[in-house]
Order: sequence, then structure tokens, then C-alpha cells
Amino acid sequence: MAYFNGGSRAVVDILSKLRNVEKPVPVDHSFCELGSIRYHIQVLESDQENIFFSISTPRLSQDEPNPNGLADFILQDIKTKYLNFADIIQPPKEGYKLTLKLNFSKLTRTKDHTKAINMVSSLHVAILNSQLKDTLKNVWMGDIIQGSTMPIKLVNHKQEPFFVLRAPKKITVIFPMRFKDESDVILATSFFQELADLGSKFPKAPHCEWSPIPPQELRGEHFENLSTNGGFVSFGIFKRHVKGKKADKTAWILLNFQQYVRYHVKCTKGFIQRRMRYRLEVLSEEIEQARIGGEAKIRKESTKQRKTWLRFSNSKKMKRGIKAFADQIKRLRLRIKIRGLGRLHRYFFHVPKFPALGWHAKLD
Amino acid sequence: MANTIRLYLTCIRNTLEAAMCLQNFPCQEVERHNKPEVELNTSPGLIMNPVLICRNEAEKCLIETSINSIRISMKVKQADELENILAKKFLRFLSMRAEAFQVLRRKPVQGYDISFLITNYHCEEMHKHKLIDFIVQFMEDIDKEISELKLSVNTRGRLVATEFLKQFI
Repeated sequence: MAYFNGGSRAVVDILSKLRNVEKPVPVDHSFCELGSIRYHIQVLESDQENIFFSISTPRLSQDEPNPNGLADFILQDIKTKYLNFADIIQPPKEGYKLTLKLNFSKLTRTKDHTKAINMVSSLHVAILNSQLKDTLKNVWMGDIIQGSTMPIKLVNHKQEPFFVLRAPKKITVIFPMRFKDESDVILATSFFQELADLGSKFPKAPHCEWSPIPPQELRGEHFENLSTNGGFVSFGIFKRHVKGKKADKTAWILLNFQQYVRYHVKCTKGFIQRRMRYRLEVLSEEIEQARIGGEAKIRKESTKQRKTWLRFSNSKKMKRGIKAFADQIKRLRLRIKIRGLGRLHRYFFHVPKFPALGWHAKLD
Repeated sequence: MANTIRLYLTCIRNTLEAAMCLQNFPCQEVERHNKPEVELNTSPGLIMNPVLICRNEAEKCLIETSINSIRISMKVKQADELENILAKKFLRFLSMRAEAFQVLRRKPVQGYDISFLITNYHCEEMHKHKLIDFIVQFMEDIDKEISELKLSVNTRGRLVATEFLKQFI
């Protein structure tokens, strides 16, 4: 689930601690998240006002012009968004694709500071989104050969490639789905069939198709890319899905589709497990009842529960609450006073007294 | 449909009532040992003829009786792949926790999905008619639970797919 939020919690924690610390100390943190994203956060002794933040993201496409760094349009994008508190350091730190010099001293309000930290933690989202948006834009502009362009292979997560290719009036994104377990395959297949069936209900959403065999557009790809057990899911992305602000959202959804499906399968298995545990408890109670003396044991347990309830009903709070409720009813019923009807009220509209549980009547 | 399952369960109940006449019988081969003869299957004189009750090709119940034990094996209806994995998961889950049921066998007999082993000791500790009620109720509950699970899984899938597609709007 952490993958779908976008931001890195570890980065938020470290940057928040650095901000709240009374006496600045030199810091050097290196860590890896989600298997492929590497971070490095450094505060130098000589320059304790600035934080040096380096990041390395996986290569989305093998055809990237600069495999050791980021493309100019991505750097420009980052410069515009992070202008208030970050400067890009060129060249980046060795082993990383991007290094930023962060300075939060210009941000006086706590709200702005928190927003800035969240933006830094979602840097990998911005980078991957920019890369995918650029690829989608290039594919859109590309020449159509024999009805579609050659498919471009993109890899977001290890061993989980997906393909992007241009078709008339749309871009097709194809996800080959692989699962370890046979039960996962069946649960995911039922999900894909529902996804394909719901296409007619949401005409504005991308058109979705599922097929157990590789689609025609991928014929010609390497065998290892086409060997799957979960089939192939295709989305038809139209221009309206990549217009303006929607482009970021569409790119992020597509990048995380395979993880989304895995998460759904995991939650479904958890749900099945909970149902099975509940059914096990019910059946165990039934076999207990079959025992000689089993019924008496169950009756004893239910009596204990009843005694606890009775003890609760005798409490002072409960008595006060009942009295207040009875007074309210009396007030409501006697709001309109008509002469001569008092006797009628007394005979027909009296409020019944609640029986005192366990109380003894006073003797005069 | 409801009528056929009623007849099937009634037949199983009547067979169990007739077959569940168990008594203590020490092992004839090993001294001071008391083993369920239906599992050992060594002396043909101690084993009764097994009874196979079939509702259809997919659902059947095998009742094997001996002098001191009875083994009931069931095959549950599995219409498609999803029901197949749900039944497999659920029955395996129950079999692994067989100690909660006492009369459940950890491993089903080959060719069946789940098996019970009832010995004379169980008949001494439990009411016979309630034990039979439990077995019959168990069969009904399994079918119902698998159908409900399948419906829930499909409903969940539809809801998740709806939420996924709504993100694009």
C-alpha cells in the first residue's frame, strides 16, 4: 500500500527529525526502498544549513539517452516545482541520478515546511511520471507503421515489464501478468474479467481487455517477455487521459497497475482467511454441543454473561439515565394542559415506572 | 435443487444411524493396543461393506464401517476453477486444524476432499444423534460457505475494478 501513496515515509521521518533537532549534527544516511529506489541524505559539518539529498530511480526504458543521469526536460520539471527550497547540483553524487541542495530556512510557516518535505519524499514519483509522460508523448507523435508503432518495453519494477505502442487514435499499454501461485492466477483472472466487463459502465475510462494469449501487437517479442500465467491486460489510452493535469495521474496509475493487482489478490486472500476462521469457530461450537455435558458448559457461559449485564444495569449511572428519560417523557406528554383533563391524564397517560432489577420494596 | 440435496442428506443420515454401532475392540495383532480397524483394514471379518452415496458425478459420500470405527469421506461440488481453489483452501484449512473437531481426519482419503474418523471413544463422549447432526450440518455448511465465498470474491473484484476505473474520470 505504501507504493500507491507515492511519498517515502522514511524520507519524511528523516527530514522532519533534521528540522526539529535543537543542535544541528552531521548526518549521512543511505537507504534503499521498494527494491530499486536508492536515497542518500547528508548534512555536512561545515554547512549545516543545507541538506544534500540524492536519489537514484530504476531505468524505465532501455532507450534512455542518459542512463547515468536524468534527461533535461525532467531536470527542468523538477527545477520549476522545487524552486522555493531546492537547487540542483551538477554533476550528481556518484552512483545517483540526481542531487538536490535543500534549504528550508526560507520557509517560515510550518505548513509550507511540511508541504516541502512531502514534495521531496515524492521525488521518485515525479521522475517516473515525467519519464512515462515523455514516452507516451513520443509514442503519440511517432509514425504509424502498418497500423501501429513497434512496442516499447518499459520496466518499472524488477522482472515486470510492460509495453507501450501506438494504435490509430490511441496508445495501447499492455501488461503481461505473472503470479507465483495458481490460486493467485485464478483470483486475478476473475478481477481482470470484471475490469473488462465494466468498460461499458465507464465510457470515459480507458478501454480494458484481457486475453490469456499474447495480443497480436506483441507477436515478435522475446519468448521470456511473453511467457505468463496471468494473461495480458491491455488499456487503450486516449488523448483525453493524458491532457493537462490528468497526465500525471494516468502515468502514476499505469506505473502501479501490477502492484495494485497484487495488493488486491493479497487482500482477497486475507478476506478468505478471515471467513474461514469464523466458520471454523462456528463449527467448533457445534461439535462442543454434541459432547455429553457440552450443553451445560455453554449454558454456564451464557449465564455468566447475563450476570455481568445485570451487574451493569444496577449501577447508579444507569438509574440516573432511566430517571432522566422518564422525566422527559412526562414533560412531553403533559405540555398541553387542558382543564378537566387532568383526571384523564392520570388514568390513561401515566408513565410506567421502570422495574428495579434486584431492588427490594420498602416496608412502611 | 433443494429437494435433491435434502434426499441426499437424508440418505446419508439414515446410513450413519444404521452404521454407527461401535464398540470397544482391542487390536487382535498387537497386545494392549486399540486401533481403529477401518484404518488398518487387516481382518476382513471386522470390516463391513462400504456404502457409496452419490448425488451426482461430482458429489459423493463414502461410508466405511468396522467394529470399532467408522470413516466418512466426502467429495464436495466444484463447478469451476474458482470454486475448486476455494474448496481446496477451505477444506485444507479445516483439516490442518483437525484437533478442534476431534472427529476430523488430517488427511482426506484419496479421491475425496475431506474425511471423518469416528471411533467408539467418540461415541462414548458424545451423543450419537448429535454427532450425526453435526456431520450432516457440516456438509450443508461447506456447500453454503463455498458459494458465499465465491459470491464475495466476485463482488469484491467488481468493487475494486469500479474504484480503479473511477480514478480516470
